Amino acid sequence: MGIDQKLLPPDLAVHIGGLKLKNPVMTASGTFGYGEEYAPYLDLNQLGAIVVKGLSLEPRMGNPPPRIMETPCGMLNAVGLQNIGVHAFIRDKLPFLRQFDTPVIANIYAESVDEFPMLAGILSEAPGVHALEINISCPNVKKGGIAFGTDPKMAADVTRRVKTETDLPVIVKLTPNVTDIAMIAQSVEAAGADAVSLINTITGMSVNVETRTPHLKNITGGLSGPAIKPVALRMVWQVVNRVSIPVIGLGGIMTADDALEYLIVGARAVQVGTANFINPRAIPEIVEGIEIYLQKHKMTHIQELIGSLKTG
Amino acid sequence: MQHGKFVMMGSVESNREVQDGHFLMSVRLPPAFATPLPGQFILSHLKNRGDILLGRPFSVSGFHRHAHHVQIEILYRVAGQGTRLFARLRAGDGLDILGPLGRPFEIPTGIKNVILVSGGIGLAPIRYLLTSIRAMESERALRTDVYMGAKTVDELLEPEAIRSLCDELQVCTDDCSMGHPGLVTEPLEKALKSYSLKDTLVCACGPLGMVRRLSEILTQHPLACQVSLEERMACGVGACLGCAVAVRGENGEKQYQRVCREGPVFNLRDILWE
Repeated sequence: MGIDQKLLPPDLAVHIGGLKLKNPVMTASGTFGYGEEYAPYLDLNQLGAIVVKGLSLEPRMGNPPPRIMETPCGMLNAVGLQNIGVHAFIRDKLPFLRQFDTPVIANIYAESVDEFPMLAGILSEAPGVHALEINISCPNVKKGGIAFGTDPKMAADVTRRVKTETDLPVIVKLTPNVTDIAMIAQSVEAAGADAVSLINTITGMSVNVETRTPHLKNITGGLSGPAIKPVALRMVWQVVNRVSIPVIGLGGIMTADDALEYLIVGARAVQVGTANFINPRAIPEIVEGIEIYLQKHKMTHIQELIGSLKTG
Repeated sequence: MQHGKFVMMGSVESNREVQDGHFLMSVRLPPAFATPLPGQFILSHLKNRGDILLGRPFSVSGFHRHAHHVQIEILYRVAGQGTRLFARLRAGDGLDILGPLGRPFEIPTGIKNVILVSGGIGLAPIRYLLTSIRAMESERALRTDVYMGAKTVDELLEPEAIRSLCDELQVCTDDCSMGHPGLVTEPLEKALKSYSLKDTLVCACGPLGMVRRLSEILTQHPLACQVSLEERMACGVGACLGCAVAVRGENGEKQYQRVCREGPVFNLRDILWE
């Protein structure tokens, strides 16, 4: 052995479909804008990937305020997929993101099954988009969104039609608001999905007892943050056991230990969402924490950690 | 690529209740903290609290630059769980501070009179705007008339300090306990026509009812008006789209803008009342 293994930093690279990530920690859609909002606070090159705010064919105004409410160890949101539309994203936001050595994953949302392949086609032509994440799990929109994600046949149909329009890796983002999330995961895997990401937010609600009105104008919203982590982790573990495509875990990751839990149960990569709001440098700090953990446990590659759960 | 902005660690110097349920906190920060413009805000996180996740946005109420540190003043009202915890902070406690953030008040050239209108804790940004106007007096002299309202005299914040900083102060209380008995917009409405349209700017912050009434009385005599708005917020940097407010876009269409980026200071005429 010419090289002392202990002196080399551990290899954090993972593959999702055909996409290589330098580390397994990416942003969760809707929590990092289009990247530029956080660029003053951290080097975007440190991210495993940037998953941008959900894009639709046409701009969307979003829901009326109030849109967010803090709840114990979490927050509810009902933004309603406000976005500038896919064309403005490609024209105004993507050139900025191309400066970085970080893959860009476009999260796509549509009101009808027909619009998904159109969005996939448009984004596949755009230089600087490295993968697609299909949002069939937004709880805060009236049309589409979660409706596609709760029906295994529709979820598979959307996946199949997106796959025919793109050569990019396709990740399907799943909703936890179902009886058996692993069944939906199997269904999109059979339809050709390259990976699944889970979980999107858990539908929730909060009421002001003085006024007896909901805290959110939309009445219900999506719960995120540490409050949902045990539920999300359980679902990731269940899905890992039922599919062979990579699983991207998310839900309440605030620290490196949280991310490690997901990786240990078998997630190939993780996404960090709400934590960005609390600490703009959460992701680089989590990446560093994972590296330190691997060194401490004498692992040279993150693959040694992924799926290493001991259940006795 | 610029990524030189950091969340800064501040240290509480003092945090005292100035009126019923209203606190004035002074926080010491490193000198690298940029000087806030009047109307800008900070997002402040309590340290080591797993239960309270999100930062709380506070208007900057005062700012002092010293040789080796800066001092930021935050005037706030205890309104919920988060601010209740802020009220418990003691000298020496740590806070994470992100900022200064957002779009400030902007006084266009040609403006000679500034009318400052505050309702309740809406005084928070108005106080810093007033001291900033005074501080630049040698370069630009502006007449400042302050209309300051509160529910009751016990919630009237620092009226004597404000009086010493402005040309004229009109105090109003809803319960008739001090000054004009009634809403702050009433004496303003009476005086409105005495202000020239071409060189007067109204800067306001207060409850939505006050801002809405302001927009009504200003249709009679359309003085330019900038207003600082408040909305629940998560990230403070424009990413989460949580702090939306309905405004008229460039082409007159309705759109939601972010209090944290396009605001907190908006042109009153752009605000849509839903």
